[in-house]
Amino acid sequence: MFDRIRAFHRPTSVAQALRLFEAERRRGGRGRWVAGGTDLVVQRERALRWLVDLTRLPLGYVRRVRGGFVIGATTRMADIEHSKPLLGFADGILPEAASTCGSQQIRNMATIGGNLANASPACDLAPPLLALDASAVIAGRGGRRIVRLDRFFRGVNRTALNGGLLVEIVVPAPPKAAATGWSCQKLGRLQSDIAIVNAAAGVALDARGYCTWARIALGAVATTPLRARGAEALLVGRRLDRTAVEAAAEQAAAEAKPVTDVRGTADYRRAMCRVLVARALEECARHAGRTL
Amino acid sequence: MSEIVVHLTVNGEARRWRIEPGDLLLDVLRREGYWGVKRGCETGECGACAVLLDGEPVNSCLMFAAQADGRELLTIEGVAPGDALHPVQEAFLDHGAVQCGYCTPAMVLCAKALLERSPQPSEAEVREALSGVLCRCTGYKKPVEAILAAAKAAPKPRGKTARRRRAER
Repeated sequence: MFDRIRAFHRPTSVAQALRLFEAERRRGGRGRWVAGGTDLVVQRERALRWLVDLTRLPLGYVRRVRGGFVIGATTRMADIEHSKPLLGFADGILPEAASTCGSQQIRNMATIGGNLANASPACDLAPPLLALDASAVIAGRGGRRIVRLDRFFRGVNRTALNGGLLVEIVVPAPPKAAATGWSCQKLGRLQSDIAIVNAAAGVALDARGYCTWARIALGAVATTPLRARGAEALLVGRRLDRTAVEAAAEQAAAEAKPVTDVRGTADYRRAMCRVLVARALEECARHAGRTL
Repeated sequence: MSEIVVHLTVNGEARRWRIEPGDLLLDVLRREGYWGVKRGCETGECGACAVLLDGEPVNSCLMFAAQADGRELLTIEGVAPGDALHPVQEAFLDHGAVQCGYCTPAMVLCAKALLERSPQPSEAEVREALSGVLCRCTGYKKPVEAILAAAKAAPKPRGKTARRRRAER
């Protein structure tokens, strides 16, 4: 399958990885970064001539930083799924999303960086990370740059990486509020399947139950994972009740731009988008200690 | 093509492989005679090619052989010495959990990894541990029963019990 690959580099530092990647790129021929391989190998790109492996880089970590987290790009789905600090953060939406990313064997291989860099519209970790206002730290020839995740995805399998190396994900501290609630929803044939639609939400409420901050993120309903900004704006300043949830879910579905494919029609996706966003907001309310 | 050399441990034995840079682990394992590693879908769905990498199940069809350098692999050939059977294998026989056998090596390896992590698993944990291995003939009922029985029959860990530790304090 990959019989044209002439070089498989195994750097042990980010600097070495960037040097090798750049040298190969100048030499010519199609090449890529590889970590878990669970997307790259399945894509069966026969033209590949070289690979730079990332699994020896010291990028497998989950660190608590100022109320938020920094997660190394080669941290595996299984590590996120079982991370005690992450289980206790934002109602555990990151471990929950990671736990649905394929089978156990896949989660023992697939990495958070690969999940994002592959830029599937159905990317499992994108909705919760978008809801958490996460950013990608990208290393390149000119040093490091930080790209907010809502500007990271540029199209199906297209990102803002531009040959750079995704080294870590920064998850800032959630807003301070009387109460916060988070939720992550996924619709697939099986829990471990690729999502037909996925969504995540986060809300901050004041003592009277009014929404001071809201995030709603959608997956598999456009060329990229996206935030439903209109629906978020609709919630802020309103009491989080059933009417508000229904209105926001309706608005989020209107912001979706789904396509028809083997997993579902555009109409079905739009309808399910409304359902998942409503469920997500209901769960957010519950987690924030409110009954709707 | 430029051959590369990897050093790894397979079933407890040090191995030195000369491989092509684009070789997948599944292909190299089968070429080296580990035929218990089955070729199934080759897209990471069926799990028949599962092996334990440093004790954890991975699909060898999705991993480059070069990435196994310095790692420890376990295939079904290595779960028990010689002609002996692993307790999970014994239980599979006792419970009629094998029909065509194609998915069995992967199931046994996933069960072994589970029991090492969680010696007395719930049925839900067993089902989760097998959920990445597709069986198209026996189904899952008998394998699940077999694994639960193997867990029950296993000698209890020899460490001191909490009560004894408390008594000694």
